[in-house]
Amino acid sequence: MFFRMIRGTFARQWKKMLMIALTVALGASIATAMLNVMLDVGDKINEELKTYGSNITVIPQSEAVMNKLYDVENDEIKAEYIQEEKLGELMTIFWANNITDFAPLTDTTVTLNGSDVRLIGSWFDHHLEFVKKGTTYQRDTGIINLRSWWDITDGKWMDEQKLDGDKYAMIGAELAKEKNLSAGNKITVNGEKGAEELTIVGVYESGDDEDQCIYTTLPVVQRLTDSSGLFKKAEVSAITSPDDELAVKAAKNPSLLSGDEYDLWYCTAYVSSICFQIQEAIPEASAAAVRQIADSEGKILEKTELLMSLITLMSLIGATLGISNLVTSGVMERSAELALLKAVGAANSQIPRLVLTEIMITSVIGAAAGYFIGYAFAQIIGHTVFSSSIEMSGIVALIVAVLIIAVTLVGCIPAIRMLLRLRPSEVLHGAH
Amino acid sequence: MNKKQRMFIRMVVASLIRRRSRMIVALLAIVVGATILSGLGMIYYDVPRQMSAQFRSYGANIIFTPSGDGYVSEEDLDQGVSIFKKEELEGFTPYRYENSNIHNLPVTLAGTDFDSVMKTSPYWHISGRLPMGDGETLVGAKAAEKLGLDIGDSVSAQNSFMITEDTDLTKIPDYEIYTDPETGEKYCDHLLEMQVTGILETGGPEEEYIYTTFHDISSLTLSERGYDIVEVSVAAMQDRLKDYIKTINSNVSGISSKLVKRVTASESTVLTKLESLVFIVTLVVLALTMICVATTMTAVIAERRREIGLRKALGALNSSIIAEFMSEGLLLGGVGGIIGAVLGYFFADVVSMNVFSSSITFRPLLIPITIAASVLVTGLACLIPIRSAVDVDPALVLKGE
Repeated sequence: MFFRMIRGTFARQWKKMLMIALTVALGASIATAMLNVMLDVGDKINEELKTYGSNITVIPQSEAVMNKLYDVENDEIKAEYIQEEKLGELMTIFWANNITDFAPLTDTTVTLNGSDVRLIGSWFDHHLEFVKKGTTYQRDTGIINLRSWWDITDGKWMDEQKLDGDKYAMIGAELAKEKNLSAGNKITVNGEKGAEELTIVGVYESGDDEDQCIYTTLPVVQRLTDSSGLFKKAEVSAITSPDDELAVKAAKNPSLLSGDEYDLWYCTAYVSSICFQIQEAIPEASAAAVRQIADSEGKILEKTELLMSLITLMSLIGATLGISNLVTSGVMERSAELALLKAVGAANSQIPRLVLTEIMITSVIGAAAGYFIGYAFAQIIGHTVFSSSIEMSGIVALIVAVLIIAVTLVGCIPAIRMLLRLRPSEVLHGAH
Repeated sequence: MNKKQRMFIRMVVASLIRRRSRMIVALLAIVVGATILSGLGMIYYDVPRQMSAQFRSYGANIIFTPSGDGYVSEEDLDQGVSIFKKEELEGFTPYRYENSNIHNLPVTLAGTDFDSVMKTSPYWHISGRLPMGDGETLVGAKAAEKLGLDIGDSVSAQNSFMITEDTDLTKIPDYEIYTDPETGEKYCDHLLEMQVTGILETGGPEEEYIYTTFHDISSLTLSERGYDIVEVSVAAMQDRLKDYIKTINSNVSGISSKLVKRVTASESTVLTKLESLVFIVTLVVLALTMICVATTMTAVIAERRREIGLRKALGALNSSIIAEFMSEGLLLGGVGGIIGAVLGYFFADVVSMNVFSSSITFRPLLIPITIAASVLVTGLACLIPIRSAVDVDPALVLKGE
């Protein structure tokens, strides 16, 4: 009988039920879309902030100490350089997936047409392969993404993988103007250990002192400085979590942390824990956060996340009010029908059960539909703003489900209480 | 006012009062919608300004260097800085660099203004504290490691120069004289004693320097001169900064100003993304909320089909029923819009205070827009169910079908 009555409601009052389901679906879709965007916005903005360049620099552990304290002549190379092949270790650390780009850099002073110029050797879009414990790691990395603010005023970015050989260069705009050089020209640079003839592939404008420099491939500088297979400094760009108390504590000295704190710190993508892991992987290197980039990133991320969560909260409140509103009015308008049930002898407990079951079925159907609409909206937001899809988190489905059930219940309660107070005769007579 | 109009108003008001609970439901829906519209609208318009201020944590976005040889003089600096709008100028810090020796190791001394340095370099991590005045110094982490310095240590910077007939040794408070045994030339070793109050960590080249006050650096080198570089932090977008740079370069002869491209170009990239994020989120939430308001209104009106049927049976014209119901709806929309617009402002202000710790800029234009939008949405939402109700045969409606 109970189920027959419910079936009856859906068959006869499908329009009203549809309306409730529609509102629930809308509310659920706002909740789904906003929660998903909110949970993913940190990662997305973090990727955008990578345009500021690297947030970690890796330098030889004992650059200063070794040279100054021990004054060891023979070990000079060891102290000032890191081995290029060790850089592959970056792909093996715990937070390797958070490292978006890295590149080794070595600079030297050369003479170009009689004046001293800083020549920097690096990777542009280097294809790196690294084998460790039988696993092959590979990726394309280099300074193309670490210098995203460069304007190429002439020629194009160097495409290391397509060019034949390594004798190519990109030249800073100011230097190019001074020396009257443009893409396609050949230049000869003289270093301590010989000379190299390089073809200019592009002219860049960087807006800082690198406008006076020449960038070339790493092997060219290695030959000029007699440091084959070595580099002086590496820039690393990593997606990090904003620093909090734990990170500040750990940054001072990780060994002072308790066991649990250490595990939490190690497994969170703080800039300090990523630096620590880089040092673990390359013991002869010292990794440090570039405060200008890392700190600002943290601040902006924190603000954006807070802003998004407050907007999410606002839309959730809006959605829940909308739903409970409609549920209340949906139940109340059925007072005549429910009063009739009472008049023919339904117990007070039976009516709420009936109403609740009906509304719940409607809500669940609406919420399920809303979840998928919200999924679509989240993806639209992701693709329009960040040109990448928003990751859907399982917890959102759970939150939305709990939220919708709670809201529906809350919306039903005042209506049901009112219905129970109604006198059947008055209602049926039409005096409401 | 004639009788008919008075009757009309009475019917509208009476209907709103008698059917209080239903009307509250409808009004609540409209208020929520209007709050979201005005709140998100204000946040959307204020985000670029507020976020731009946050991006100043990346530090200086314009630098002044001397045009040609020489230094940036105090007058040129004042003139250059006065070109920026006061509320946009976050701060500016001049620097003067000198080479010196400490413990017989070459170091670079940087004279600066410690009162403004944190405004242009908010990312400086200082253990200890900033120097408060002369005789105190902030040492970069790498320089400290190299020289073996720690907070509280005393350090003597050394400046040697040859004594000529022009040298006035009375001006120098603390010095040693020695004679080169080979040439017989007399040298003066001028010492400046300072106390380390803090160690600077930035992860950048600043860690190599030793920072002092301008007064200390002048008394060490015995020369007063202008600045090598001035860092300026301006809360403005790239295009505006470019205008400033043009004005400064053409008006102030002693300064060549430059954009710090890394900071400005990246800022405009990220800020554009953030703006479009808030925009599209606002759009999606608004669209869904408006549909929500519309369905609620539709439901509220739809349940009054009996009433409409009754009026029709009593001989009311279709047009007068539509007019009455619509004005009821529009009145609700207007009232809800006004309440929502005000609530939205408070909401936006709470968000702004929490996120950016500064109050939101009030946009008067958003109030009429919010009210107009809620009236429009409510009107449209009412129109559809009323029309379908009016078209129905009164007998059928009254019978309860």
